[in-house]
Amino acid sequence: MGEERSEVQELAARARSGETEAFEALYRSHQAGIYTFILSQVRERELAADLTQETFVRAWQSLPRLRKAGAFRGWLHRIAANLVRDEVKSGRARLEVAASVLATDGETPAPEPRADAAEGPEAMLVSQEMKGAVWDALAELPAQQRAAVVMHHVEGMSMAEIAEATGVRPGTVMSRLARAREALRKSLSRYVEGTDDLS
Amino acid sequence: MICHKVRRKLAEYAVGGLRGRTRARIEEHVRDCAACRAELAALERTGGLLDSVSVEEAPAETWAAVQREMRGTERVPVARRVRWAWGTAAGAVALAALVVGAFVLGPMGPAEPQLVVATEVDEEMQATIEGHLSAVWAAPLSDEAAVGLRLAVLEDDG
Repeated sequence: MGEERSEVQELAARARSGETEAFEALYRSHQAGIYTFILSQVRERELAADLTQETFVRAWQSLPRLRKAGAFRGWLHRIAANLVRDEVKSGRARLEVAASVLATDGETPAPEPRADAAEGPEAMLVSQEMKGAVWDALAELPAQQRAAVVMHHVEGMSMAEIAEATGVRPGTVMSRLARAREALRKSLSRYVEGTDDLS
Repeated sequence: MICHKVRRKLAEYAVGGLRGRTRARIEEHVRDCAACRAELAALERTGGLLDSVSVEEAPAETWAAVQREMRGTERVPVARRVRWAWGTAAGAVALAALVVGAFVLGPMGPAEPQLVVATEVDEEMQATIEGHLSAVWAAPLSDEAAVGLRLAVLEDDG
């Protein structure tokens, strides 16, 4: 993790001084996270792709202003979050649409689960259904909680990174994650309640 | 600790948010209480489900589009942005002085045409500037807001 961060730091420093190859490497390693983050917020693939593009263009333009190259990922998310907010204000993004847009709407299917050769077709179907249900449940969360959950669980960002990206204290991130976990535990009860416990 | 108090803190515990004595008390309670243990297990399974969701790749053509935009846009170095900001501030002050001056001095001279120009500038520019000031207030980091304000000043200069 630390090694990964220092590699990003080095790439960001090189991109800041104008190396497009370094910026392309940063794009390759961050595009999926940014696209998924934006998709979880705006729920339209075409718009998410447009905003992903815009996020990286702005990042390229503004890189000379990035003071801590090591904070690149959080900074990139902040740009993406600002763009999403502008979209919501302009009315293009439909943040408050009913749930299941990501999971069941033919135009905007849920992100594909990773294909696992070891799984049989039946297990794959169950897994897809479950992941669709997770995206459905995420869609019901308030935007700030959803953003924290996607950054932490889907993208693997630390609390500190999320705090940096969202401009709040790590304690607030923790609190958002806890509230989200409570809500998701209820909406996903079908998948998470069992007879076994921690004993 | 009793169950309802523990339940209120279980989600925070599950995301790793409690430390010290509170965390120890919850662990102690959960060891002895099957219902709370089952609830914690459900919260932890929820976390596991979330961890199993993977990121999705952006469409393949996105990088080419980013590259096209990169070629077409200029990177603004820090020093120039600072000068630009001072230029914007100076322009805004000059504009305000112009508008105020037109109103104060207008009636004293043969200033009919100047007064007309000043009134037009005042109404149009005021609306534009107010719009962008509002955008700046709502989104201080938004480049459009700053660019809009700058353009408003430049329009007047032109």
